[in-house]
Amino acid sequence: MGVRVTSGRSLLAAMMGVGMALGAQAANVPDLGPLPPIKVNKAKAELGKRLFFDKRLSGDAAIACATCHDPKQGWTQNKPLSDGYPGNGHFRNSPTMVNVAHKKVWNHDGRIGTGLNDMTREMITEDYIMNMDMRIMQERVKQDPVYLKMFKDAGYGEPSNGKVRKAIPEYLKSLTSQNAPFDTGKMSKSAKRGLTLFKGKGGCIQCHNGPLATDEKAHNTGVPENFDVFLDPNNHQAFIAFAMFQGIENFMNIKRDPGYYNVTMDSADVGKFITPSLRELKYTAPYMHNGMLKTLNDVVAFYNMGGGMDSKKSSLLKPLGLSKAEQKDLVAFLLSLSGDQLTSAKYVWQGAYPAEYPVIENWKNVRN
Amino acid sequence: MKHVIKFRPVLLATIAGALIATGCIAQEPKKGMSGPPPLAPLGPPPIPADNLLSPAKIELGKYLFFDPRLGGDASTGCSTCHEPDQGWSWAEDISRGYPGTVHWRSNQTIINAAYYSKLFWAGSSKSLESQAKSASKGGVAGNGETDIMEARLSLIPKYVELNKKAFGTEWPLLQDAYRAIASFERTLVQRDTPLDKYLLGDKSALSEEQIRGKKVFEGKGACIQCHNGALASDENYYNIGVPGVKRWEEDGLAQITFRFEIYAKGSTEEMYRTIKDDPGAYFRGKNKWDMGKFRTPSLRYAIYTAPYMHSGQFDTLDDVVDFYNAGGVAADGRTTSFPKTKSPLIKPLGLTDGEKSDLVAFIEAFSGDEIMMEKPELPPYAARFSKAELQAAQEAK
Repeated sequence: MGVRVTSGRSLLAAMMGVGMALGAQAANVPDLGPLPPIKVNKAKAELGKRLFFDKRLSGDAAIACATCHDPKQGWTQNKPLSDGYPGNGHFRNSPTMVNVAHKKVWNHDGRIGTGLNDMTREMITEDYIMNMDMRIMQERVKQDPVYLKMFKDAGYGEPSNGKVRKAIPEYLKSLTSQNAPFDTGKMSKSAKRGLTLFKGKGGCIQCHNGPLATDEKAHNTGVPENFDVFLDPNNHQAFIAFAMFQGIENFMNIKRDPGYYNVTMDSADVGKFITPSLRELKYTAPYMHNGMLKTLNDVVAFYNMGGGMDSKKSSLLKPLGLSKAEQKDLVAFLLSLSGDQLTSAKYVWQGAYPAEYPVIENWKNVRN
Repeated sequence: MKHVIKFRPVLLATIAGALIATGCIAQEPKKGMSGPPPLAPLGPPPIPADNLLSPAKIELGKYLFFDPRLGGDASTGCSTCHEPDQGWSWAEDISRGYPGTVHWRSNQTIINAAYYSKLFWAGSSKSLESQAKSASKGGVAGNGETDIMEARLSLIPKYVELNKKAFGTEWPLLQDAYRAIASFERTLVQRDTPLDKYLLGDKSALSEEQIRGKKVFEGKGACIQCHNGALASDENYYNIGVPGVKRWEEDGLAQITFRFEIYAKGSTEEMYRTIKDDPGAYFRGKNKWDMGKFRTPSLRYAIYTAPYMHSGQFDTLDDVVDFYNAGGVAADGRTTSFPKTKSPLIKPLGLTDGEKSDLVAFIEAFSGDEIMMEKPELPPYAARFSKAELQAAQEAK
């Protein structure tokens, strides 16, 4: 079969140049491969690290970025739906932070395509996520002498919300796959057989291609709705707030996540979600935009059936006829895309935060 | 003296009738001449033509007033800071704020707020409806956003039902929630204080001491220059010399909020860097002659609403009277950071101890019984759809 490429012509052209021949099913897509190195500014990243783990970056100072992107849980939350901000729930699964700086499109629905600076702003200010008035955040940061020094050392000068939005992305650049067997070449035989299936019979590479194993495009694979989004009013209120704010019509009555429709407002895109990276899957269960699949076995079984039920499901998905052994090999390959868990002090802020904001002495006589 | 009044045509017209002047207004009361409006019994509160009262609005408004889900993390509603047991205000110098913050001004009582045409200390809202909106959304108050709060209301069947009765819409709109809250607040009035009774003809309603205090209030104390009419407030802006919040010098959290407010309300960089006190009404027109001015508060219900002044710097009414007696200087010598705008109406009064205690006794006559209220049991959320409905939608995909 031929791969239908309906957009992304420049990508197509780029790949043609590489001229990979991957067999009939995987023609014209970029090959998997190692991630390109990213240069990281140490002082800026160190500052971003402290910010990422700091609860004072949320409105009520109860949650940090790391609350829903927990290093011990693969930089996600190992539950179908993310916690969201206190007082409400959420309606999607928290994605990992590992390799997030390699992406070109963020959020399961792809609504941010500019950069991590905007993503940082979105996560900190969105009412159902961190609900922070960044003007208050700026003054909180300025009240902490540790930050004053770190901002200065990073070359940022005085703390500001704009610089917070630079420092956190700089830190996120430091979270990249380390020593994945796929990258080191130390793959098991089963994983190697899985790779062949991935590129061939499984057809996975049609969408999961390139160094991140994603085309970063939106597809409808028919993942069933997570009813907890709607049955739990805490989750549902976050969903309604999101839909209302995004301008999605009929938000009180819709019973499904509109996905990429949010970006294009084209009904053909309802139920499409951005292809996720397959790196670091070992630590990031459950899977899919709404956490509906518990294990990688479930994910492979799901695709082996040709995906879920949806009249708008991608025509790329067909029953695959993979044997049990083939499915096992495919899972083994998927696991080979996961490296070391990034839980050491190199990646995780270990320092304490002050229990109270230190007072600025001689306040009346110093400049604000 | 000349007192320039900007942007207050309605008030100007009102005062002009009593005080007479062209271009500028002499506010110094002159003996034997027409002075400020006299104290008067409080009538029913004004009801705006675009938000008439109805039982359904009041019922809904009462629930909403007490419901913390009308705030960012569902912890901080109106009553969280306007606590009925604390005089429908907050009994600290500055109000508690949203979790993780503290406010920067003293919390004002809800009782009789219905009569003000300028809400908040610096008059930033012109109606209870818009006050409720600002309070529920402000970063150091409710910190709520419209979409999540409106979503919450829509998932509480009791509110959907009451809202439909009150406003007729299928789903609650936050704007209407504020109108409901304002309607409820218009029922929180007190019109039967000893002073009201006295002014309505019951001469036994005030004690001898209070009657003497009334004379001081209207005469030597000159309190009535600003605390006049039925509300005991002219709703004008003055800098009377109140010092800023002491806590700003001692508390990191309070310092954060101070800078945030200066930043968020719009300041030049130099002002943001150097200011160390609350500019108050300055933020209305950004005119330097309004620096440090605040809207005269009512004296009604005052015995329940300590501490006093916009910065909550005085714990008792005695302290307040001492402050005025000293010409707008606190006992510890602290005063406003904006001496240039201080009102010439404020000067040492030379009150004797007896006159001061009479005056305090009289101010107490502006308060009747404490208004207590049992908090309503809040209705729960309910799922909008049944599992069967969701399953049907899934199959129809």
